[in-house]
Amino acid sequence: MNLLRQSVAMAAKDLRIELRGRYALSAILPFAGTLLIVFGLSLGPGRTLLQETAPGLLWLAVLFASVLAFRRAYEAEGEDGALEGLLLAPMDKAAVFLGKAAAVAAQLLALEVAVITLVVGLFDLSLGGAPFVLAGAFVLGTVGLAAVGSLFGVLAESPRAREAIFPLLVLPLATPVLVAGVKATSLATTGRGGQAGGWLGLLVAFDLVFLAAGTLVYPYLLED
Amino acid sequence: MIPRTVDAPRTHGSPAADPATPAVLLSGVTRVFGVAPAVVRVGLRVERGETLLLRGPNGAGKSTLLRIVATALSPTYGSGSVLGFDLLRDRDEIRRRCELLGHRTRLYEDLTARENLRFVCTLYGLDPSRVGPALERAGLADAADDRVSGYSQGMRQRVAVARALLRRPELLLLDEPYAGLDEEAKEVVDDAVRDAGAEGRTVILATHDPGRGDMAGRTLLMDGGRLVPAGSASS
Repeated sequence: MNLLRQSVAMAAKDLRIELRGRYALSAILPFAGTLLIVFGLSLGPGRTLLQETAPGLLWLAVLFASVLAFRRAYEAEGEDGALEGLLLAPMDKAAVFLGKAAAVAAQLLALEVAVITLVVGLFDLSLGGAPFVLAGAFVLGTVGLAAVGSLFGVLAESPRAREAIFPLLVLPLATPVLVAGVKATSLATTGRGGQAGGWLGLLVAFDLVFLAAGTLVYPYLLED
Repeated sequence: MIPRTVDAPRTHGSPAADPATPAVLLSGVTRVFGVAPAVVRVGLRVERGETLLLRGPNGAGKSTLLRIVATALSPTYGSGSVLGFDLLRDRDEIRRRCELLGHRTRLYEDLTARENLRFVCTLYGLDPSRVGPALERAGLADAADDRVSGYSQGMRQRVAVARALLRRPELLLLDEPYAGLDEEAKEVVDDAVRDAGAEGRTVILATHDPGRGDMAGRTLLMDGGRLVPAGSASS
């Protein structure tokens, strides 16, 4: 019960900071939008090619946006030593992991709505085929990205490793999410949602593994 | 292979309830960062209810020593107990009873002072109704609902002091708490130290400020990572 209460408090604190700082709105969303437009321009005007590549570009935009969102989430902890405050609190440290994952997942889901809208407009992507499969892929993929980012974000707070180590750790580990997300999205947007079960299952397995690993390992990563 | 710690005594079994157990007991504590030792074979005994003043030049190891006592850092070698709890094995018990007020205020810039302290209440399981009186006592009642990002360094330090007042820890560790404070705010810190002493709580105060610390019952000097006899520190 304490774990749940403390996780909710962590998530609420992070979301409040994000809402006040408007980092997602002012930096991450424009970044994701620019990425999509640049890729779209580089692929040329061919409608079929754009529609085929749209799921991949969409997930790439979400993946890079998640890296920025986690850097921001941990920057707030590092600005004035707040992370040490969390370390010294006699709390279940897994609450920090779960709370941060929940807060960034909420931000990413809101961001995905905007990015999907942009992709539909730019690439003429159809969402009508299997909306529940599409929603499932994004929710499950977002949870997986949030779990990986929350787990390894704390390592990036090491003063020497700060900038480079986080994407180097997260991007390779997030590959299964990227692959499964792209495949499920592609099937859902081409009216073959019924074939996406295996990819959604992979996302569920990824989420369970990283949520469990994060809950168990995170307290040791946080300690000196 | 050299063990990370040696001779760590087992101090389980509710030893904190025993008033004869010292507040802090360190033996041969050493902390090395890379190859540079910050604290070297420090042995220290601080009795319960004692107010100890720790002086020494910059880089003497005072902050590292206080962070080890607070369990923010582990000793590379050596052993110890805090309030009867083992420094390595009983970290959560120590953290529950100890507050470190250090160089960094550990505040969230985009939250107000009140929100910062309410968050602390959630983490420590404290009654949030304590927040108002603590902020008032730190002289922040009027600015309690302003974001910390608009605060001066002195005001931030007051919020950190309010956090210490909020918790009323058994062991209060103050690392240069007067830095950046005006005279009025320094009095707030002094009052907190005096109150802790009057209530039988233990305080370790590390400061350069020569005009402060007169409430301490004992003064120790630190230099080059070691505790040295009074009068022999290099500054």
